[in-house]
Amino acid sequence: MAKMKIKAKEKKGIVKVKAMFTSLMADKEEAIKKGISPSYIRYIVAKVKDAVVYEVTMSGFMSENPLVKFEFKGNKGDKLTFTTIDNDNKTETDTQKIK
Amino acid sequence: MDRRKFLGVGLAAFVAIVVPGTDLRAVDFRTTMPQAWEVEKTVDGIKALYGSGALKESPKLSFKAPKLAENGGSIPITIKSSLDLESVALFQDANPRCLSCVFSVPVGAIIDYDFRIKMRQTAVVTIVGKERGTGTLYTASKEIDVSIGGCGG
Repeated sequence: MAKMKIKAKEKKGIVKVKAMFTSLMADKEEAIKKGISPSYIRYIVAKVKDAVVYEVTMSGFMSENPLVKFEFKGNKGDKLTFTTIDNDNKTETDTQKIK
Repeated sequence: MDRRKFLGVGLAAFVAIVVPGTDLRAVDFRTTMPQAWEVEKTVDGIKALYGSGALKESPKLSFKAPKLAENGGSIPITIKSSLDLESVALFQDANPRCLSCVFSVPVGAIIDYDFRIKMRQTAVVTIVGKERGTGTLYTASKEIDVSIGGCGG
């Protein structure tokens, strides 16, 4: 269900990452208003070579289709792996090479 | 502090490559701190998450946000800090539950996070950062006007 788009670019040892996740981000109240069941991502983690570079736990009050940007120190060609967990404990994983 | 900074700048990349095992921390605050996610008020939320309400203002922890948000469904926020923080959390009073998101910062990471939040009315947004080691809580807050009539999600 949830697809993600990941862009990662390395410049002078710093990797800039932009990632977009597909989710309604509907918390309890909003779900009732819209007549759907709650659905939001509650946990996102990004790893390079099994080391955590980005980690966030969130509630349904992030905006729809959350877009996150962040930076970390890394190398070209490494693989960046994102894992998300939603409110039903469903996990999604996607990997992207750092350009 | 100086030594800590020096180490952080000079060796962080090196450390991250040589000992990747040390960075392997996966803290899911939803499972470890379930009660913090149900609190309504920011002050109580900070206490529930960090166990203390003593906050220090610091110019080293700041965030960017629009003064007037036209669309309450998507308010861009950028958190920046030069402190060595363990975790950063965002609280707001606009929604039924105050905690929006908690970042756990890996050792030697650059704190520059950009994301978007939802707010259904004008309220104060508070950022709280916990320093690694000392556990001191730093804070920054700002009021964001959400214009009514925007599609507030």
